[in-house]
Amino acid sequence: MTESATDTIQSGGSAATAAGSTAAVRPAPAEAIALRNVTMSFDLGRSKRMTALEDFNLSVAEGEFVALLGPSGCGKSTVLRLVTGLEQATSGEVLVEDKAPADLAKSHRLGVAFQEHALLPWSSVRENIALPFRLARRAVDWQRVDELIRLVGLVGFEKARPRQLSGGMKQRVAIARALVLSPDVLLLDEPFGALDAVTRRRMNGELARIWEEQHITTLLVTHDVEEAVLLADRVVVLTGRPGRVRHVQTVDMPRPRHADITRSAEFRAVVDHLTDLLDVDRKAE
Amino acid sequence: MIRRSRLAGLLHLWPIVALVLLWDVWVLANGYTSIVAPRPWSVINDVVGNPDAYAIDFLWTLAISVGGLLLGMLLGTIAAVLISLWAPMSAVLTPAALIVRSVPVTVMIPIIARVFGYEVYTVLVVTVITSFFPAFVLGLSGMASAPASSRDLFVVFGSSRPASLWRLRLPYAVPNLLLALRITAPLAVLSAMLAEFLIGQQGLGYLFIVARSYMEIDRAWGTALVATMLSVFAFLAARFVERRISPRFT
Amino acid sequence: MRLRSPRWLNNTIGVLILITVAELIGRTGIAGRSWPPLTDVVGYLAEPVAQATVLRALTATAASAGWGLVLGIVFAAIAALLANFIPVLRPGLDRLASVLNAVPLIALAPLLITTVGRESTPAVVAALGVGFVMFVAFTAGLAGASATHQDVFSVFGSARSTTLLRLQIPVSLPTVFDGLALAAPTAILGATIGEWFGAPRGLGVLIVSAMQNYQVLLLWAAALTAALLSLAAYLIAVRLQSGAVRRFT
Ligand SMILES: Nc1ncnc2c1ncn2[C@@H]1O[C@H](COP(=O)(O)OP(=O)(O)O)[C@@H](O)[C@H]1O
Ligand SMILES: [Mg+2]
Repeated sequence: MTESATDTIQSGGSAATAAGSTAAVRPAPAEAIALRNVTMSFDLGRSKRMTALEDFNLSVAEGEFVALLGPSGCGKSTVLRLVTGLEQATSGEVLVEDKAPADLAKSHRLGVAFQEHALLPWSSVRENIALPFRLARRAVDWQRVDELIRLVGLVGFEKARPRQLSGGMKQRVAIARALVLSPDVLLLDEPFGALDAVTRRRMNGELARIWEEQHITTLLVTHDVEEAVLLADRVVVLTGRPGRVRHVQTVDMPRPRHADITRSAEFRAVVDHLTDLLDVDRKAE
Repeated sequence: MIRRSRLAGLLHLWPIVALVLLWDVWVLANGYTSIVAPRPWSVINDVVGNPDAYAIDFLWTLAISVGGLLLGMLLGTIAAVLISLWAPMSAVLTPAALIVRSVPVTVMIPIIARVFGYEVYTVLVVTVITSFFPAFVLGLSGMASAPASSRDLFVVFGSSRPASLWRLRLPYAVPNLLLALRITAPLAVLSAMLAEFLIGQQGLGYLFIVARSYMEIDRAWGTALVATMLSVFAFLAARFVERRISPRFT
Repeated sequence: MRLRSPRWLNNTIGVLILITVAELIGRTGIAGRSWPPLTDVVGYLAEPVAQATVLRALTATAASAGWGLVLGIVFAAIAALLANFIPVLRPGLDRLASVLNAVPLIALAPLLITTVGRESTPAVVAALGVGFVMFVAFTAGLAGASATHQDVFSVFGSARSTTLLRLQIPVSLPTVFDGLALAAPTAILGATIGEWFGAPRGLGVLIVSAMQNYQVLLLWAAALTAALLSLAAYLIAVRLQSGAVRRFT
């Protein structure tokens, strides 16, 4: 754990800069992702604009797992897309490893999985997972591919095509594909959004297990409170449109976290607290 | 099981048998002489009895249509790729494609014939132009059908443009290109024959005029029969290829 | 909606570029004597005699194509309804349609010229071409109602004819108009093919005779007229199609 385990239940936008302001006091962990005073607005044509994010601040330390939590449409995916370099901020600064986000993509050190699994329908599981090697014009390390197939529990399905797989299996392929190049930064946008509750729980457990082994800097977008608390070192709660940071919650429950932790009083308390925060937002709307 | 479904498949050919019978009844009922309309059996006899009278022209038209079909589809696909790589190209290619789509080949062939001359390759040019449009339009929409999430994914994995084209957009266009093949295959035969009819020195279209001008009615109708079979087989072959390959890409 | 104006602008620029290129090819003469400048063709069309010739041919072709379109649609609709109400006929008719669809229209001409005569052949060839396309469109359209919709209708005990009228026909309209967009140029193709085989009048006849007699301006004038007729038919069908899609999906 890189962050010290102080309780960081704070209120309002000030929490947003928590990581930044304490950097001078504590030995600063290397900053992997930084969004500073970011505003993002979309041109809707006919001179109408929609502000998705306003004065947004976020900092993710190297090796940290941060979850973005918020009602749908609040700009979570937009944050993620800014970090991938797929979108440019209207104003403010987005840095990944102190460089422009697109640099990381160009040097093939970014791993992503979206809600839509985006598997290639004509390729086998094995080929789909090997895709990042091919796009990086590197020789495919089949040992690594097979290792990931084992890690996500798809042994025996190497030759299967996406349409022969269940939703959960497709998502596991997408996650294996995101991990195959051992990326510096892992971005997950509601990777389990399309799954039923039971499968989702199981996938959360598997992701936690996989993450224990590698400790990759991870930014996870979700609207599922339990998922966020189970997986993350810090949970960042967003307000509704335009998106701002409402609250940052440090989760310092010990790892590895197993499914039974979700029944502990501590876990429930954090979940209830965050759920209330989301609810405030809904009432305000 | 399989034999039974084959049998059912053959049974479903009843309309074609009915059509041939209807033709015969129609000729008899109207009392047409063999100069006006021959009976089906004498036409079939002419084809079966003189295969070498048809063979060369059949192969010729087959070669021209297949060659023109493949070349036209290749050019159509290349045009679609160019547009997808460079958007302003669409300003010129879209209306041009619209013209090629809506203007009948019968209108284009005489102009093409005048401009290119009464040459063999003019027939090829005609089939190429016919085959261009479906591949172009369907290829373009096929490439656009690659889901946004996949395109984003390729960007994030740092894919180069050629790699995105080769590994994402072209494979997504394959089912559409095969659909274009199925649509175009009989069209290519039709336009090759029309061009041969007007300007050719060889091929089924030419055989047809010659037979007609010598009043060889069985031969003229036989040519029509052979042409129909060529066209139908081109269609069936294209459909077979489509059914074989398309599922692998969806 | 928002995309509309730039696309229109784009296409207009594209058309202007194409016209300019065609004009330049004619002016410079790089394609030979058979490619006149478009302005010459338009100038030729302005002459009363030429105009009268082309117009007479246009009327004949448009009439054949129009009759062919109507006849083709009617017969295709009847066949599709038969296939709908008498399911036993369905696979056979489907197979027949896909085979007939592949029959080169030129192969039908000899059959017709000696039997229905020179005058009617263009309309009949057009009707056959249209019929094949529309039969496929009708059957695909009628089969297009979703299983859920069908279930709702049968749960309410809807009669076959009521389901047809209230569900299948409205659902089929976009597909049918899609077919129409294909069928409209096919009608003109069929009419001109029919004319090639010796009809007394029509754009097809005019184009071929102009080609054989080296009347380059007449050839281009007639071809441009036929092209515009075909383009107009196609664009009207596309317009109807997008209207149907808006209303019924
Ligand atoms: N490319 C875009 N153009 C216009 N509006 C957009 C675009 N992308 C996102 N938005 C809008 O921005 C807001 C935030 O979207 P998003 O980040 O996807 O939300 P979330 O992921 O939290 O559900 C939404 O209102 C959405 O409609
Ligand atoms: Mg989202």
